[in-house]
Amino acid sequence: MRCFQELKILFVIYRWHAVVSWTWDAHDETCGICRMAFDGCCPYYKLPGDDCPLIWGACNHAFHLHCIMKWVNSQIPQAHCPMCRRE
Amino acid sequence: MTDSSVSSRKVLSKIATNRLQKELTEWQINPPSGFTHKVTDNLQRWVIEVNGAQGTIYDNEKYQLQVDFPENYPMEAPQVIFLHPAPLHPHIYSNGHICLDILYDSWSPAMTVGSICISILSMLSSSTAKERPEDNDRYVKNCRNGRSPKETRWWFHDDKV
Repeated sequence: MRCFQELKILFVIYRWHAVVSWTWDAHDETCGICRMAFDGCCPYYKLPGDDCPLIWGACNHAFHLHCIMKWVNSQIPQAHCPMCRRE
Repeated sequence: MTDSSVSSRKVLSKIATNRLQKELTEWQINPPSGFTHKVTDNLQRWVIEVNGAQGTIYDNEKYQLQVDFPENYPMEAPQVIFLHPAPLHPHIYSNGHICLDILYDSWSPAMTVGSICISILSMLSSSTAKERPEDNDRYVKNCRNGRSPKETRWWFHDDKV
């Protein structure tokens, strides 16, 4: 019994690091416009994640938000999906 | 060839440079079959050798494509022309300009040099006659001042070839 009590105090946690991973759930791994990884970020921004989100069109093709906005804004009045030409 | 392209005058943006470097790396690992990129240190102008596909009327023939990238590539299409002598084809003018919708109105930023090459080879391969476009002389005369094909208002009417 004494032994058991000694064992209990052997495990003292001084500090711990949590490690979390995340990934975008897109069909492709890279953005069809900039060809950079979805889990990285577009060439316009420095930090991946919420600062450089993905966006899905009605056709379910995903792009970095900043990449597709640049394309859409250059195609006034009507922009088409770069992958399938859907409006 | 005249240094005609408006697009090649401005330096590439950082974004365009990044993407082109990726495309070049991809090309070196897995080049589209029938094409050879002529190595230079100029990322903004690629010269690509095209080999006519076997079993087509361009079999065993070699041509050269010149691809000039604009500053804001891939939001804008590159300028693609054949260097002299351009293949005899109903959609290719004697000055090397190519009537192909994806190079102009139907460009999409998801396209790459590789996909353009494949479209051009497919256009060549489906041709059954070695002839120039009907309006070749008139068009080429209008381009004498070194006009880029991207400034032409193309009318795409023939999807057979």
